[in-house]
Amino acid sequence: MGEVSTAGSGVGARVRRKEDDRLLRGRGRFVGDIALVGMKELAFVRSPVAHATITGIEIPEEHRGTVFTWADLAAGGVKPIRAVSGLPGFKVSEQPALADGKVRFVGEPVAVCVAATRAEAEDIAASVFVDYAELPVNSDMLEAVTPGAPKVHDHWPDNVFLETNVGGTIAEIAATAPVKVSRTIRTARQCMVPLEGKGVVAHWDRHVEQLVLTTSTQMPHIVRAGLSECLDLDQGLIRVVAPDVGGGFGWKGLLQPEEIVAAWIAMRLDRPVRWTEDRREHLVAAANAREHHYEITAYADARGRLLGIEADAWVDAGAYSVYPFSACLEAAQVGSILPGPYDFAHYRCRTFSVCTNKPPIVPYRGVARTGVCFAMEQMIDAVADAVGREPWQVRLENLVPPEKMPFDNVTKKHFDSGDYPESVRRAVAAIELDGWRARQKAGEADGRLIGVGFATYCEQSAHGTAVYHGWGIPMVPGHEQAQARITPDGGLELRVGVQSHGQSMETTFAQVAHEVLGIPLEKIKLVHGDTGLTPYSTGTWGSRSMVMAGGAVATACRTLAERLRRIGAHLMQAGPEAVVLEEGSVKAGAAAVTIREIAHTWYRAPQLLPADVDRGGLEVTAGYKPGSDHGTFSYATHAVAVAVDPEIGQVEILDYVVVEDAGTMVNPMVVDGQIYGGVAQGVGTALYERMPYDAEGQPLASTFADYLIPGFTEVPHVRIIHMLTPSPYTEFGVKGIGEGGAIAPPAAICNAINDALKPLGVTVTNAPMTPEVILCAIAETRGAA
Amino acid sequence: MSTHAKTISLTINGTRVEASVPPRQHLGDFLRERELLTGTHLGCEHGVCGACTILIDGEPARSCITFAVACDGRSVTTVEGLDDDPVAAELREAFSAEHGLQCGFCTPGMLVAARDVVLRRPDADNPAIRTAMSGNLCRCTGYVGIVNAIRRVIDARNTNAG
Repeated sequence: MGEVSTAGSGVGARVRRKEDDRLLRGRGRFVGDIALVGMKELAFVRSPVAHATITGIEIPEEHRGTVFTWADLAAGGVKPIRAVSGLPGFKVSEQPALADGKVRFVGEPVAVCVAATRAEAEDIAASVFVDYAELPVNSDMLEAVTPGAPKVHDHWPDNVFLETNVGGTIAEIAATAPVKVSRTIRTARQCMVPLEGKGVVAHWDRHVEQLVLTTSTQMPHIVRAGLSECLDLDQGLIRVVAPDVGGGFGWKGLLQPEEIVAAWIAMRLDRPVRWTEDRREHLVAAANAREHHYEITAYADARGRLLGIEADAWVDAGAYSVYPFSACLEAAQVGSILPGPYDFAHYRCRTFSVCTNKPPIVPYRGVARTGVCFAMEQMIDAVADAVGREPWQVRLENLVPPEKMPFDNVTKKHFDSGDYPESVRRAVAAIELDGWRARQKAGEADGRLIGVGFATYCEQSAHGTAVYHGWGIPMVPGHEQAQARITPDGGLELRVGVQSHGQSMETTFAQVAHEVLGIPLEKIKLVHGDTGLTPYSTGTWGSRSMVMAGGAVATACRTLAERLRRIGAHLMQAGPEAVVLEEGSVKAGAAAVTIREIAHTWYRAPQLLPADVDRGGLEVTAGYKPGSDHGTFSYATHAVAVAVDPEIGQVEILDYVVVEDAGTMVNPMVVDGQIYGGVAQGVGTALYERMPYDAEGQPLASTFADYLIPGFTEVPHVRIIHMLTPSPYTEFGVKGIGEGGAIAPPAAICNAINDALKPLGVTVTNAPMTPEVILCAIAETRGAA
Repeated sequence: MSTHAKTISLTINGTRVEASVPPRQHLGDFLRERELLTGTHLGCEHGVCGACTILIDGEPARSCITFAVACDGRSVTTVEGLDDDPVAAELREAFSAEHGLQCGFCTPGMLVAARDVVLRRPDADNPAIRTAMSGNLCRCTGYVGIVNAIRRVIDARNTNAG
């Protein structure tokens, strides 16, 4: 890894972010900050019921012309969102941007109102009367798959988007395994809650004759593709721009019905329009993540060596299939990744993507991995308990050892590199397990119970072409492209189609370019998130941007470097082989010519160029894919110590350690930040976050007072220990790391709570593990005893 | 409801402003939509997340649950008004050094609240910083960088004072 150093400002350096100053001075530009001359505001009439036929919409006379329904959009040629999957048996849902005669979840947009201010638009929305004939509701996925359940989509035979079956029979193992443990495990439906909600400003740009949609998105190019399909408008007539985006976590990785509506209204009225999602809209209409249910059995030998895993898994996918990820990605992914980082031979998993009267599910940070890790890591602890060993020992027994890397697991996932067992050993040491075990034995003066839990995972990131082609969804990542352009004054512009919304790409991609070209960071400008200015990209999702777009930036810069060398050599009358590019200059012995001078030559003094100069000049678009289409596998072991109060069910996190391996880190500060933030979200998943629904499909939380996300006093001061095993397949050996922090905390915390509750004979298996859940589990055990 | 505009007179970031505002308009919307001070961010509009925190007569307040008409005669300071504030400058430096921000949406409110903690609680240890800041939510950073940044500023000020 000769190219990588931790000094300076290239790859490996902990440099400060280029983004910070504007954001610290309140001079960022988020979508809600944008005002255009003559702009109107939108407010949506949303369904107050989970399942109903719309029998009438009454618009007061004075508001005719400012309220629009699906009838208006359909008459204007707008088509419903269709997010299909090519997997056999997938049932297609059609989601009209405004309800078409039927509503299928609380919060579904029914009509849109236009006014000078949002407040006035909301006044109009309140005056629109919608007549609903209510229908029976599917509020629980397990009931939705029973015979006779009301159908969300009338023409379907049942409420299952897709059933998948992975692996073969494991009956022989089941019959003979010395150890068999089974669990029923569940995670709650969550909201992702970026602090900035969604938002969109749409207008028709008369000069360039384009619809311009400025939207809070992670994937502008995909939004353009979806808009083109729904509006029947050529992609060349659409420009999608992501400004500063206030967090995404997956929620901004989809084509929104509201984006289609805003675009259509802007064209219809020939006026700029803006919609900003408020927090109630987000919590009610966008409660769209996680919610898994597992019936799972692990088979092992007497040492705890896994012989097989068998599972049925259900994912509540909500009412419609979202564009581009579809309704089946999450559940189908459960089937392929449930085996985790472990080496075992026998596996069977059946999954169901269930259609219910809830908002459509969108992949949330870690996608299915948080649920899968929650299930699998509970099983490791259950096996350890059954064989009487420490859970970390059973992990060591089963993790893929470093000498087997690269390794193809039971579902043909190709793990690229790393020492998984070492992450466990370091976590055991760092959390100081022996000390906690001694404290457990001694007991606490306040009556609380101490527990320690571990969870290990590996995370495929930077997914390749084959796997997404296999899904058959509207989006398949191919070569990621980047443009690199030397400016006439010797600076560098980078243009990428991914979008940075907290990931610090303005800094880290500049570090990658600096590593190759030596141009100082302050002279490198990243342009991103704009279909009018950047190469096509599927966008920012799946921990892919640094591997894919970072790789493309490096590739483009290397081509530039070669062109700079040739021009520089000519200017110094040296042979191309006799020069090097170092520290922003082309050098031949003691002579040197700066990139600035070479740029001046190309742009301003071309008479000095060699006759055979590359006509592409100092501007390059390059494509990149890692050496393996399976992407990279980062991994980590999380260790946590908790105190559980058996009287009030409260859990306090006493220490939290992450031992992780992201391969080569471009900026360790940014990697740490991603992990800290991910763990905080994982703590929310573990202990606090749940969107409850009643039997009528009504969401029972609509403010931050009843949907709890972790604050300063709920999140521990996490300690991070890095391992650095480069991926053999990527530029600089980087691996994707954006999601990982959020994957393991629910599993680690659950295992710690169960370790604490062991003396009471109590086990909790559902997240979030609120005081109510813990107290009920204790009460049930006492009742049974 | 009455939508008759009321005229108010207030000071915003040191400048006298007269404005006619609808009674139902909250201060956050007034600052953002009329004064174009978009550094004040709205994260929940029910007074929980703290992203919209500004100073009214020098005290931190939620602009989303403060009516603009209630600010007649008051002095309002937003993040844009803290450009030359020495404590805010130290915090900006520390937030950057400690990676106390990612997407930056909660950041203006965090800075206003953190400035108050630095001024009011020079004795604060890390748990006290966390408690004092617990009225502000961040979804990106996991809070570690923010706590470290406030710690850094308090320590530096105590060292310099000592």
